[in-house]
Amino acid sequence: MKAEKYLGRIEISPHAIASIAGQAVLECYGVVGMANKNFADGLTDLLPGARYQRGISVEVVELQIYIDLYVAIQYGTRISEVAIGIMNRVKYSVEKTVGLPVAQVNVHVQKLQMDDK
Amino acid sequence: MTEEQTQSLPPLKSIGGQEIKQLFAASLVWLEKHCAYINSLNVFPVPDGDSGTNMLLTMQAALKETNNSPQHSASAIGGLLAKGAHLGGRGNSGVILSVIIQGFARAIEGKDTITANDFASALTEASKVAYKGVQKPVEGTILTVCREAAAAAVAAAVETDDLREVLARTVNEARASVIRTPTLLPVLKEAGVVDAGGQGLLVIFEGALKYLRGEPMEMEAGGAGAQNLEMISREEGWGYDIQFHIRGQNLDVDAIREMLFSMGESALIVGDAEIIKVHIHAPNPGEIIKYGAEQGALVNVIIENMQEQYIDFMAGKAANSKPPIAVEDVAGIFTVVVAPGDGLARVFESMGAGAVITGGQAKNPSIEEILNAVNSAKGDNVIILPNNKNIIPAAEQVKPLTAKKVVVVPTKTVPQGVAAMFAFNFQNDLETNAQAMTRAMQNVDTLEVTTASRTVTLDGVPVKEGQVIGIVNGKLAGAGDQRDDLTVRLLQEMGAAEKEILTIYYGDTVQPADANAFGNRVQTELKGLQVEVMRGNQPHYHYIISVE
Repeated sequence: MKAEKYLGRIEISPHAIASIAGQAVLECYGVVGMANKNFADGLTDLLPGARYQRGISVEVVELQIYIDLYVAIQYGTRISEVAIGIMNRVKYSVEKTVGLPVAQVNVHVQKLQMDDK
Repeated sequence: MTEEQTQSLPPLKSIGGQEIKQLFAASLVWLEKHCAYINSLNVFPVPDGDSGTNMLLTMQAALKETNNSPQHSASAIGGLLAKGAHLGGRGNSGVILSVIIQGFARAIEGKDTITANDFASALTEASKVAYKGVQKPVEGTILTVCREAAAAAVAAAVETDDLREVLARTVNEARASVIRTPTLLPVLKEAGVVDAGGQGLLVIFEGALKYLRGEPMEMEAGGAGAQNLEMISREEGWGYDIQFHIRGQNLDVDAIREMLFSMGESALIVGDAEIIKVHIHAPNPGEIIKYGAEQGALVNVIIENMQEQYIDFMAGKAANSKPPIAVEDVAGIFTVVVAPGDGLARVFESMGAGAVITGGQAKNPSIEEILNAVNSAKGDNVIILPNNKNIIPAAEQVKPLTAKKVVVVPTKTVPQGVAAMFAFNFQNDLETNAQAMTRAMQNVDTLEVTTASRTVTLDGVPVKEGQVIGIVNGKLAGAGDQRDDLTVRLLQEMGAAEKEILTIYYGDTVQPADANAFGNRVQTELKGLQVEVMRGNQPHYHYIISVE
């Protein structure tokens, strides 16, 4: 997306927005990882470190940012509360950093992570 | 104060289920009294500010589960508390608290009573479990306070078996830890507050300690430690953010603090007789400055209008006073990617590729097609990823035909292209990106699995028409009659088991269910790998596999 006026243009790619969203979501309590958005079903292994972006999709439609997050949540947390936390934190982080409105943050819980033991 | 009071009571060696219930109830009462204060510690202008309320409701839900339970075993009561907390966890702080309670309960499973030692190790376990709940733990939060308090409990339990004393030291460390939170988390420091969740946990410990000591549940006036950071809810208005230092002689810190507390909110006043730092929010900065100037010389004066900041922030949403915004897909550097198959095209698009041209082994795109894609780019800097050895020359020939600055990152396979895309950083310039992407593509091994179109001996491998063949980094590596067997064998020969991530892009000849089954098989036979299966839908190649 692009903002124009004054001295020049400001361009922000959806990729960059996804990075910001990714940072924010991984700091949310209860989120133990991202899962691949391309899996409808089947393997839902967690994405390793640098690849968490594959669990995020960002769309910009008519100046509004739409974010979809595919997450794995820690078993033992209340999923609805964690999801609301994700929505608030991601919306806040993206709006604060990018300065543009986030219309939707959709949280897709792909997996519940049980403890190892 | 703690020493005397602790020593005047006989040592408490262990507690059972009913005592745990009582401790919990005491914590709840104490938390209730501090609830408004904890809520006021909110630093995000988002509705997660009700840390106190959320923790309180979580505690209530936990305790409710134990109502009327006559159980005397610590384990049984712990289990009920855990269940209640799990189901009733509210908000961010409440969810973390519920996980701490669950971790604690699990650690005391099977115990009828808990000793000082049990308490310390259960708290340690609770902290560990709590940390597992987040991918990137932020320090300076309730997690930090829990961990440090647990460490203090463990240290105390080595020296004494008196639960009261161990809890006292836990509280002391929790308090110190809460006070340290602003040094760990800048957003707290800016707001001049301590972490709300951490403060809540401290209050919970304090409540339990008060009960064990038989102290009344009364608030201390101007209490010690973290309570000094007196806060008032932000709902009263945004006003001005005022910061300054007062320099002087014989400054009365306490008197100045008391006066300023009455004049504004979110006040943080620290210092000594010669210099005092003041950070306060107030509707009228004039009064504060005037008062400060009467006490001594003012330096480093900063006054900001928080109302305006807030309005500016909110205006970003309405985009009224902001430059007009147009939608464009791409940053300053545009990437043109050649990919066989719509599945792979989508993979590249999801990573931010500007344009994807269909093409590959059997269908090399023409120079014109690549040129058109380059010319359609919104920017003047273009990176081309050919993703095939045979397409690199065509991509190179585009350079003199366009006015744009073009760099070809010579990716020979799709996995190299994906690795290169991952290295792309929109903040860097063209040259830096090209170098990083070229480096990244060399860290990937590629296995392509296809069917031989004729009988031939190549690279020393005899192949019959119709057999399945595997190509490792562009070289024929093996042939066989069974697709999946051959693929697994070649992966083993490549040393894939020592690598970390394996991505399988399956082609249009493979059913999704078969591909997933194959993915599971690879996962089983090559242990320790992270296996991903993705629909590439490329023609000719059954699998294109990236090993990195």
